[in-house]
Amino acid sequence: MSEALALPGVAPARLTRRGVGRFAKGSAGVLLLLAAWQLSVPLVGLSPYFYPAPSDVVAAFVDLMRKGILPVYFLDSMGRYFAGLAAGALLGVAGGVLIGLNRTVALTLSPLLRFLFAIVEVAWIPIFVVWFGYGWKTILLALVYVVFFPVLYNTLVGVRTAPQALVNALRSLGANRVQVLRYAILPAALPGIITGLRVGAGFAFRGLVFAEIVAAKTGIGYLIFEGTQTQQTARTIVGMVVMGLTWLAIDQCYLRPIERATIQRWGLTVDAEQRA
Amino acid sequence: MLRVPLIATAVIVVVLAGGWATSLVSAQRKLEPLGPTAPRGDYRVTLDFAPERFHQLRLQEAGRLVEVRGNTVFLRDVTPPALRAIAGEYWVGAVERWDGK
Repeated sequence: MSEALALPGVAPARLTRRGVGRFAKGSAGVLLLLAAWQLSVPLVGLSPYFYPAPSDVVAAFVDLMRKGILPVYFLDSMGRYFAGLAAGALLGVAGGVLIGLNRTVALTLSPLLRFLFAIVEVAWIPIFVVWFGYGWKTILLALVYVVFFPVLYNTLVGVRTAPQALVNALRSLGANRVQVLRYAILPAALPGIITGLRVGAGFAFRGLVFAEIVAAKTGIGYLIFEGTQTQQTARTIVGMVVMGLTWLAIDQCYLRPIERATIQRWGLTVDAEQRA
Repeated sequence: MLRVPLIATAVIVVVLAGGWATSLVSAQRKLEPLGPTAPRGDYRVTLDFAPERFHQLRLQEAGRLVEVRGNTVFLRDVTPPALRAIAGEYWVGAVERWDGK
């Protein structure tokens, strides 16, 4: 982590202090919000159904854990999310490379893809429910749909912007199509693929909640929906907090390090936090 | 460079493996007093709390849910693998034979 963050002329100890300071500031903001929320509950004077206190949310979290509901819902959601992300990313990369390399395929598919890109997954889910029923097929399809387009377009841009001089040089050295793809086009497209993956991962996370609300009987999205249906608003907030924290963890533990290892390492972009 | 994703993945694998191992031990401990199990049997599953819809749906996957009385759920036609799966759940307090009445 420290290697990835190391900036020229900045000592690691200073970086650690800066990281601790940033964490302390972020935590202070959250604690202030929680304190204001807890103190406002008696002032507002509404029932926990309308306005649960943070202590109610903590109690709901403990209850959901004790009863084994939250772990199962969380694992179900994560299974769907990563399966959808992986399938959507694979199809998106394959489609982007295919369209980027073949003009005929590009001309044939481009209008259709632009048309489909404009239709959000929310509009598709009721149709998917009719076709595949409630359950994992519908959710998986919705997530694949959400991830596919950002990955496809970013891969396509990456493939099209591959340096022609490098491609020509490889060809003149006798490289075949697969070697040109492996040594020139895919490395050039990698930053685009990573950007598409990051965008798609975010879209899929939002899509997951909606898909689970409509088409599932388990999962964090379903917990959010069920909480309001059964007048257990604190459970709904637990679901929302879990979603937020999970996204933070995925972003910090996977997306950012992968981005640093590819895009930033090659000097193509600078993290906004590093600039600050 | 990719140390953080590797550590995170290792932590997830350890947590999942730990959960799986705990579930196996827990199932063994709860089923030991029952002795050998029949190919299909009727059982009384007791929880530490009143079962919610989630628990009833999970238990229905194991067998035919006949009745819910207080914290106890009565199941028929439960196979040994399904029984082990139920007993492995940490929210299941006890599993006992039921004579079906």
